[in-house]
Amino acid sequence: MTTSKDSQAPSVAEGMGRFERYLSLWVALAIVAGVLLGQFAPAVPETLSRFEVAQVSIPVAILIWAMIFPMMAQIDFSAVLGVRRQPKGLVITTTVNWLIKPFTMFAIAWFFLMVVFRPFIPEPLASQYLAGAILLGAAPCTAMVFVWSYLTRGDAAYTLVQVSLNDLIMLFAFAPIVVLLLGISNIQVPWDTVALSVFLYIVIPLAAGYLTRRTLIARHGAEWYDNVFMKKVGPITPIGLIITLVLLFAFQGDVILANPLHIVLIAIPLIIQTVLIFFIAYGWAKAWKVPHNVAAPGAMIGASNFFELAVAAAIALFGLQSGAALATVVGVLVEVPLMLALVRIANKTRHHFPAAAEAAP
Amino acid sequence: MAIAISRRAREFIQRKGGVVTVRLAPRHGCCGGMASLAVADAVEPDDPAGYRHLEREGIRVYLAPELVDEGLSVDLEGWGIFRHLYVDGAPLKR
Repeated sequence: MTTSKDSQAPSVAEGMGRFERYLSLWVALAIVAGVLLGQFAPAVPETLSRFEVAQVSIPVAILIWAMIFPMMAQIDFSAVLGVRRQPKGLVITTTVNWLIKPFTMFAIAWFFLMVVFRPFIPEPLASQYLAGAILLGAAPCTAMVFVWSYLTRGDAAYTLVQVSLNDLIMLFAFAPIVVLLLGISNIQVPWDTVALSVFLYIVIPLAAGYLTRRTLIARHGAEWYDNVFMKKVGPITPIGLIITLVLLFAFQGDVILANPLHIVLIAIPLIIQTVLIFFIAYGWAKAWKVPHNVAAPGAMIGASNFFELAVAAAIALFGLQSGAALATVVGVLVEVPLMLALVRIANKTRHHFPAAAEAAP
Repeated sequence: MAIAISRRAREFIQRKGGVVTVRLAPRHGCCGGMASLAVADAVEPDDPAGYRHLEREGIRVYLAPELVDEGLSVDLEGWGIFRHLYVDGAPLKR
């Protein structure tokens, strides 16, 4: 599979290794492996679930930190000072990510899960899936957007600034948005539970990542940090993700075996939301005559999600066996093929946008 | 091997010792994958032999070979201790 040749964009094979190109397959295999583990070796998840402190599962916390820490360790918050460089792009992406995306996700997921699919999904379970969708909607992509930006020949400096800005906003906006939308959905989650999950899975990895970055760069230099340390630490995220999924589905086995169709039903609103958000941001950028190398990464960041955070929050708030955790995983399942389709659309429509030099102020 | 360095960036680099390294820094995707973006640091590279170098208005520039023909510009942004160099003009690379 390649992106359009006439756009001179890199091919998917150039931009993505085998692991990430076939992520959906590995996620599907993790689901099968987890279900088999739960069914044939139930002692494993039972034993792991015993290691709890203050209702926080230690093995799960370690896996979640393994997923999130490498992403936090590569954030350069000083890049946020570049916000003045592409103001239109940043207005679009910030508005779409924080004022539109969480609410369209809630509305679309509510409509499908609570109304359209009502005959197929019992209401308590539908509410759990809705909660998972809300968590996905409140967590825009934080790292994968560099790959999507590369595949659409996005502006590297702009991509870095928008990621830093979104990460900073996420620190303050994720919890209030989640609490607000869960409240509207009549899904009661105590504030202290949300605050604990934000502290455990955003604040701690973020602070650890920031301190690690500062300390190691001061000691060994930025080049060593990027090319030696991050080269070793960066790949831990997808490995942590897959192991977490195996563990999660070891607990979810009975739910999946009883309702295999639910995975498809959950995927439908998530796919619609992804495509809608992409076109809102992309269309807005077109209307504002934003250059394509800003419009494409600006649309990709909202369309894609920070799955590790959504999975972590779902597990922390609702548990490994919850429908919310399952819904966030379905997001991971459809992510890569869907985003690659949007990459193709962005590359094929490049000629509708001004080139960077034409659009410069 | 064209590279433009703004006046503010030049002054900043000169205060830091008159050397700048422009290189690729990898960013890892959460679902795997990686893309590299061009960054500039006002320090000597770890392995100067792995870079092309040139003198530009009193500044020694070390440029990663992959960035030689990109027509880059180096500028300065931020304030106080948060001031840092940034690179414009290079697309993300694998």
